[in-house]
Parts: sequence; C-alpha cells; structure tokens
Amino acid sequence: MPAVTRRTIFFGLAVPCILAAAVLVAALFYVFQYSFFKFIPGSLDVGGLTFENFLRLEKPVYLDVILDTFLISALTAIFCLLLSYPVAYAIVRTSSEGLRTFLIVLSVTPLFTGEIVRTYAWILVLGAEGFLNSVLRAASLSPVSLLYTKAGVVMALVHFSMPVMIVLLATAISHVNRDFEKAAANLGARPFTVFLKVTLPLSLPGVVGGAAVIFAWTMSAFSTPQLIGGGKVLMISNLVYLQGFSSFNFPFAAVLSLVAFAAAIGSLALFAPLAGRLERKLSGR
Amino acid sequence: MLRLCIVSKEGLMTGRLVAIVLAVAMAACPASAQEKLTISIWGGNWRDGANEAIAQEFTKRTGIAVEFITGGTMDRLTKAKVAKGRPEADLTLTTSHVAQLYMSDGLFEKLDLAKIPNLREAYPIAARSPYHIGLYSYVYTPAFRTDLMPQGFEIKSWRDLWGPTLKGKLGLPDFDPSHIIIAAAMLSGGSAQNWKVGIPLLEQLKPNIKAFYQSDATSQELMKSGETPVQVLLSINAFHQSSQGIPIKIAIPKEGAVVGIDAVGISTGTKMAAAAHQFIDLALDPAVQTKLCEIYKCSPMSMRAKLKPEVANLPGIFTSPEQWKENAIVVDDDIRAKSLPEWKSWFTENMTR
Repeated sequence: MPAVTRRTIFFGLAVPCILAAAVLVAALFYVFQYSFFKFIPGSLDVGGLTFENFLRLEKPVYLDVILDTFLISALTAIFCLLLSYPVAYAIVRTSSEGLRTFLIVLSVTPLFTGEIVRTYAWILVLGAEGFLNSVLRAASLSPVSLLYTKAGVVMALVHFSMPVMIVLLATAISHVNRDFEKAAANLGARPFTVFLKVTLPLSLPGVVGGAAVIFAWTMSAFSTPQLIGGGKVLMISNLVYLQGFSSFNFPFAAVLSLVAFAAAIGSLALFAPLAGRLERKLSGR
Repeated sequence: MLRLCIVSKEGLMTGRLVAIVLAVAMAACPASAQEKLTISIWGGNWRDGANEAIAQEFTKRTGIAVEFITGGTMDRLTKAKVAKGRPEADLTLTTSHVAQLYMSDGLFEKLDLAKIPNLREAYPIAARSPYHIGLYSYVYTPAFRTDLMPQGFEIKSWRDLWGPTLKGKLGLPDFDPSHIIIAAAMLSGGSAQNWKVGIPLLEQLKPNIKAFYQSDATSQELMKSGETPVQVLLSINAFHQSSQGIPIKIAIPKEGAVVGIDAVGISTGTKMAAAAHQFIDLALDPAVQTKLCEIYKCSPMSMRAKLKPEVANLPGIFTSPEQWKENAIVVDDDIRAKSLPEWKSWFTENMTR
C-alpha cells in the first residue's frame, strides 16, 4: 500500500476543491453573461448584447431596495448579536446542566422547523388580530401594525437567525480562557468590568464572525421579507424573483443578482478592517 | 390495456436471430400497461380536480395511465425550457397567456384540430391559438369580507376600489398586476393596449393598498385573517373560502371581471402526441367539462356543459354567450404575455414604495 504523502493529501483535497469552485464560478459567469443580453418581452429567449439592463439601476426604486437590504441586514445582525450573546453566555457559563440543556434545546429547536413555518408563525404573531395585538388589547393598549413593515421583517429575520448566532457565539465564548477572567477578578475587577475588559474582547472573533455571517445571509433573505413584507418591503432577492419569475426578465434579474453579490462581498470586505479596529479598541491595544 | 405480442419462432435458425427478432417485436408491440401520459400542472386542488374529472376517465377509456408532475407556473415554464426537445411532460396545463410563452419559444407543438372534435362545440374563446386550447375560465375580480366592511358596503364598479372606506384594506396579487392595470385603463377610457392612460388613477390607489399577495395560499391567508378584507382575487379561491364558512362576497363590477383562462398544450418532442390529443378532446367533452367545472367552480369552455344551478349562478361563472359578452373582460394572450413584464416592472417601481 503506497505511503500517504503530503502531496497526495494536497491533491486529494485540492482537486475536489477546485472542481467545486469551478462549478460556482461557471454559474456566476453564466449570470454575468446573461446580464448583458437584451430582454425580449413575450419571449423566454434573449436578444443581442446591451448595457440597458445596467442603466435601469438608475431608477430610485432600485437604489431604495439596495439601501433597505443593507439596513435590514445590518439591523438584523445587530439585534441578533445583542439578543444572542446573553443566551450563548448563559449556555456556556451556567453551572446547571438542566438549564444548559433547556437553553440549548430552546435555541436550536427552531432550526428544525423550516423558514416558511417560522415566518408563518410570525404572521400569526404580528397580524392585526394576532397574538401581539391581542396581548396589547388585553392590556388596554393600542394595537400596533407591524406586519408589512421593515420592523416586522427585522423581527422575523432576527428570530430566524438567532439559533445560528447563538451557536457561533457559544463556541467563541467557550474558547475564552477563564484564567484571564479569574486573574482580572483577583486584581479587583468587578464582574461587569471583567466581562467588558476580558470576556468580550476575547470572544470578539466569534462576535465579528457571527455578525458577518448573519449580515451576509440576511442580504440574500427571500421568504421572510416576501411573506412578512407582503410586497411592501422588498429586499434584493425579492426584486430578483419579481423580475425573473413574474416578468420573465431574466437579464435584469441577473443584473440585480450581481448587484446583490457585489454588495455582499463589498460589505464583508469592509467588515474585516472595522472588526480589527473594534477589537483593538476593546482590548486597549 | 394489456396486449399480448406473440412471436413465432418458426424458421429462426440461430439464437442471435431470435434475440434480434424479439427485440424488434418488443419495440413494435409495447405493452400498453407501460404507456403513460405525463401532465404538468399546478399542485393541490388543481391536480386533484384534473385527476378526478379528466385523468380517471381518460385512463378508463384508453387504458393509458396518467401521471402528474406539479409545480408553480414559472417553475414549470423554466423546467420546460431547460428540457426543450426532450420534454418531461407530454401535456402542460397553464394559464393561457403563459401558454403563449411556451408557444413562442417552441415548447408546444401545433395541434391537429381534427383530433379534437369537441372543440367544435366549445365557445370560440377556447381556441386560444393553433398551439393551445382553453379548458375552463375564472375571473379575477374584487371580493370582500362582509363581516369586516361597513354594513351595506358594495362594490358595483372597479372605481369603488378607490373609495376612502378601503384605505389600508386592499390586497392585490404581486405576481400579476394586469387586472388592476386593465381596470384602471378602462376607467380612464383606455384598454390593455394603451394602459398608460390609467397611470394617474393607479397612483391614487396606493393609500388603499395594504399588501400584495404572492400566491393563492397567501391570498387566502390574508382574506382569512382579515388583514386585507378587500382583494382583487381569483374567483375560485373566494368560492373555496366561502365554502369554508368565511363570509366573502364576490363582486362582478359593471365594467366586467377580468377573465383568466387555463389552457393546455402538447409538448414539442413528445412521443405521446396521439394520446395527448385524445386527452384534450376528452377534457372538452361536455360531461367531463361539467364535472371539472363543478369541482373547480369555474366556467366551462364547452357550450354543452350543464352545470348545476348552484354552480352556474355563482358570480363570475359564464355559461352563455350573453354572459361572456356582458360580464367578461378578455385580454388577448399575446398582448398580455408581451405587456406583462412592462406592467410588472412599472408596478414594482411605482406602486410598491
């Protein structure tokens, strides 16, 4: 039996990796190529080459949708982080096995229900006659209208994303060396100061990674804004669908897909230096 | 239908020759039990209704099994385009103006009308093109929850959708805004061809729109929950919800309701063209049409279909040439197929924000 060399391992891993990348690049190239074709109304075929599809992006509605997508993604990442960190912290640091199990089950179970089911549940919660407004009415408060608003979409997206964020943060927090926290406490730091000066900076890679993941995947959210937004709140994916599958305008849908792709890559590229700066600031370096 | 193919071995000298002859004989006499007609259709009630009314009778008469493959309108169109020339389905049932896209892209083959004699007894509107035949129709029309609107509220004209009572109450389909666009154009003295005359009116409608629905399911959910107690919706959905005890009133405006026709076409490249023609002819049979339309609560294409009065008298069900003339707004498939992208884009850019 031949010896397994580093070279064998490299090629064994590199070849599938290159093949997978080639498939993704080919698909992306196909979308890129499609964006330059002329749309022919009443036909599924496309015409000759044109830049018209890109010029349509000048219309204010498309810029609005792109900005809304950024805003909704950023708010989802921020709220998700704020709500998930305490849960992840409790999962890692609680001394009660029962509480840990309860929190893990509570956090992870939503992953086993599909996005559509969870989104429909939010329709029942946020609707005019839904759970939230029933509670408000019972408390003699005015009902609120959250369905078909950005706030409603963000709420549902935060709920949808929290399990993933909790898992990422719990992993990061579990890697924080507790000796550093004990040292800080022995030197007189109060628990909150220990958290702020030691635990949080050391868990920052998880915070940044989690926020980046949630931001990027929210950029491509479709079902939640489609159902909770009710056509009044549009994100880029919804526009792609409307152009491609309702208007049959696949060339313009390809342009919008490229915009979404560029926006996601561009914002993630900006994320790294910003995160680095934040990490340095929090750790006092 | 199981046919036996008997091959004589007399005179066959070698085993090899026997094998060749058997292979040829098997190819020439395929067992009918293996014959299967594959039909592309929407899922749920659409498939169930077509199965109960048409497919079961077809199998009974011909011995050919029917298999349905289901999916959304555009998903199926996209799959058909990808499989062009080697179709997954022998027949496709879809909305008439979408069938126009199948036709213009060469996905449907020209029909042999001599093999569809029942078409002669259908309303002329059934002959959508030489490539697709309408099987039944429905309307997209205003409907409202009687328990959630003020007492005495009625919709007698499309213009009533612009009334102040409807502020923040109206639901419209986002996948096809053609109904409200055509209505606005007509109210402004235009038509589908010069729809832009209706733009000022459409823009005035914005405050009344609460949400856009994306599917039959979301339309029904919005109506059931009362989020949009007034909708422009598919009459069949309203009848279905009404039968479930939801108090919905369907209005046929004095200008008429916008007709939708579901049509059938035969896939280019199918090996089951003869059976497919038989299926279409059977689907237009008066008895089958009656059964189908009583299940769907839709208008038959066969002039000889006799619906029960409780179905025939429902709003938006047309069973006479006079009703078609007075109550139906029918838009040419070609105009609709070519205009829909422009309508849709305009609607997204101007009405959703």
